[in-house]
Amino acid sequence: MDAAMHKFDVENLDLWYGQTQALRKVSLDIEANTITALIGPSGCGKSTFLRVLDRMNDLIDGVRTEGKVLYDGTDIFGEVDVIELRKKVGMVFQKPNPFPMSIYDNIAYGPRVHGIKDRKALDELVERSLANAALLDEVKDKLHKPALGLSGGQQQRLCIARVLAVEPDVLLMDEPTSALDPVSTAKIETLLDELKRRYTIVIVTHNMQQAGRVSDRTGFFLHGELIEYAATKDIFFNPKDERTENYISGRFG
Amino acid sequence: MTTRIQFTEELARLNHDILTMGTKVEEDLRKALLALKNEDVALAREVKADDELVNALQLKIEDQAAILIATQQPVARDLRELVTVFKVTDNLERAGDHAVHLAKMVIKLAGEPAFRQASRLESMAETGCEMLRGATLAYLNHDTAEARRVAALDDGIDHEHKALVDEVLSLMREKPDQVERAERLIKTAGFLERLGDHVTNICEAVVFMEEGRHVELNE
Repeated sequence: MDAAMHKFDVENLDLWYGQTQALRKVSLDIEANTITALIGPSGCGKSTFLRVLDRMNDLIDGVRTEGKVLYDGTDIFGEVDVIELRKKVGMVFQKPNPFPMSIYDNIAYGPRVHGIKDRKALDELVERSLANAALLDEVKDKLHKPALGLSGGQQQRLCIARVLAVEPDVLLMDEPTSALDPVSTAKIETLLDELKRRYTIVIVTHNMQQAGRVSDRTGFFLHGELIEYAATKDIFFNPKDERTENYISGRFG
Repeated sequence: MTTRIQFTEELARLNHDILTMGTKVEEDLRKALLALKNEDVALAREVKADDELVNALQLKIEDQAAILIATQQPVARDLRELVTVFKVTDNLERAGDHAVHLAKMVIKLAGEPAFRQASRLESMAETGCEMLRGATLAYLNHDTAEARRVAALDDGIDHEHKALVDEVLSLMREKPDQVERAERLIKTAGFLERLGDHVTNICEAVVFMEEGRHVELNE
């Protein structure tokens, strides 16, 4: 694979929280318009790795990183505008966290912050974002009602719409369906498949079946190391490393 | 982890049934072989009757395997093992059918010693028994070396098959009035040859289960 086609190229990434090393010599590349699943037991470093990609770890005291992370060929630890990076690389969290305001304002919040004031442009953006998050049909008659009145699954799709509204390029998702029922989970998973045509998606999940269902490639982390990174079908049918096999088969973790 | 313990226990139960099925098919082939040697029509009829037991075991094992897949969602080697269960039972069931074919021939050709070619058929069935036992154990013990050894035995069956066909063809030329019986003999030998192929399929499935790749053993 030509490096020019990679959305991210990570080389020998080490990360410490104070004295504790959380990532050890992690190297992987993420292809554009694919879904990459990161799996591993709690504390293995997968969420830390996810937060490296939009430099969210910068917000934590005492974090030190070494190694290279290239986003579209540019070193994200070099001369980059972090605000711009986080606009391009959006994050969806485990629990839906809508702002205590209307559905419309939840979506319009980001674009307004980024300077879009025109009412018509905002209307269009809100509608498009909701449609792309497969939520528009369910909320089009109540755009000005409180977002907190939506179900959990709808709230999570609203949060996805909110990220889409700032027109990102990459979606990072940290266990986006762990708080949702199976029907809402299925809707989000179907949505992910749609979204990967336009975005590159990296998802942390504790749900093995979900990783198997939605992702193109899967990375297995253990004690801060990337143990195995391969096509999802290979990881779940014929993993090369005994530790991967043991983890996905429920022998530990 | 409770689910893992449960999975292991269920799989052990299922594998116990596979051992029963493999042993049953081997026993049927051995009975058919003895029936052939001793012209024992009663024993041959037993083999015919056993076929239903083998078929019932196949369905029971496959249902258990399907339930395990549905409830435990196995992956990687666990999943390959369950996929292999279906291949093992399917091929054992077919092998069982071929043991029945041999038994039927014993019944049909009872009292016709002149045209038996018993030694070649006996040799094929003998090798078939060894292959069935070896393949079943190779599956249960996850033993790919044994699977490869067993698959190689199929050459012996193929060799006997070809020799038998040649001999029967020349006998047919000598005694054209015996053509019908000769045809049955050739057909039965063909069934035993297929039995060897089915056991070879089981051996290939064992390699797939362990190594995650498809191999052709004994092409």
